[in-house]
Amino acid sequence: MTNILFYVLAIVALLGAAGVVLAKSPMGSVVSLLGTFFALAVIYLLAGFQFLAGAQILVYAGAILVLFLFVIMLLNLGAMGSKFELSFAPLQSTRARIAGCIALALALVGLVAAQRASFAAVPERDASAPAIDSMEGLALELFGRYSLPFQATSLLLLVTMVGVIALAKRQRSGDEPAKGEERP
Amino acid sequence: MNVPSEHLLYLSAGLFALGLLGFLVRRNVIVVLMCVELMLNAANLAFLAASRQHSTAEHPALQGPVFAIFVITVAAAEAAVGLALVIALYRLKQSAETDAAAEMKG
Repeated sequence: MTNILFYVLAIVALLGAAGVVLAKSPMGSVVSLLGTFFALAVIYLLAGFQFLAGAQILVYAGAILVLFLFVIMLLNLGAMGSKFELSFAPLQSTRARIAGCIALALALVGLVAAQRASFAAVPERDASAPAIDSMEGLALELFGRYSLPFQATSLLLLVTMVGVIALAKRQRSGDEPAKGEERP
Repeated sequence: MNVPSEHLLYLSAGLFALGLLGFLVRRNVIVVLMCVELMLNAANLAFLAASRQHSTAEHPALQGPVFAIFVITVAAAEAAVGLALVIALYRLKQSAETDAAAEMKG
């Protein structure tokens, strides 16, 4: 039963990914990407990763996609097409054919590598089984063995924050709007 | 579920290939960034498939989830910086197309 659910969700994820590439407007791409992220979150849950499924929804669907939506609305790019339409126009150029060949070759390499790996069978996992990524085990790893990368991550986030503020700030210092009359 | 781990890797390869295709084909910078997110998600799925394969009930393989968490963090940072660059590009060129920034082409 859950196996069938996995295959349905895998198809949903792939269709969503195709929608990201083919959607006419960026808004359509965001909606397709949202579908892919949710399908992947449920796949993580089925595979026994409860924390990662939550993090996927919270961080990807909740934070990153909202950031994309903010920028699309800020730049008013969503107005290019109000309906969700697919467009095959970007795929009909020489550049697209070369890119398609590269992507196809890469996918084939991945498929063959996975095929040749010959994994042992995984035992059936039911919903009552404890998660692979239990909070306790994950915390022990993150704050024990991986505490240095964990702290490097905090540095990365700080650098990102400062960098984004520096990038998004208005460049001209001469005609800065006076206090109280900022542009909307 | 007891789907073989190969099938998770097949899905991962498919998602990565679609992300790469979009990254190379699309001209809208925002869609290009979304395709990068797609590729990072495919990498996450591969990490988790490997972790699932090597986990036993007594000894869960936690390297996979830990690296997936790091990937999610880096993806968030990358999206923030990338979108700030999109805004800066839009201010400079009034366009969010990759062809707008072509000064440095040979």
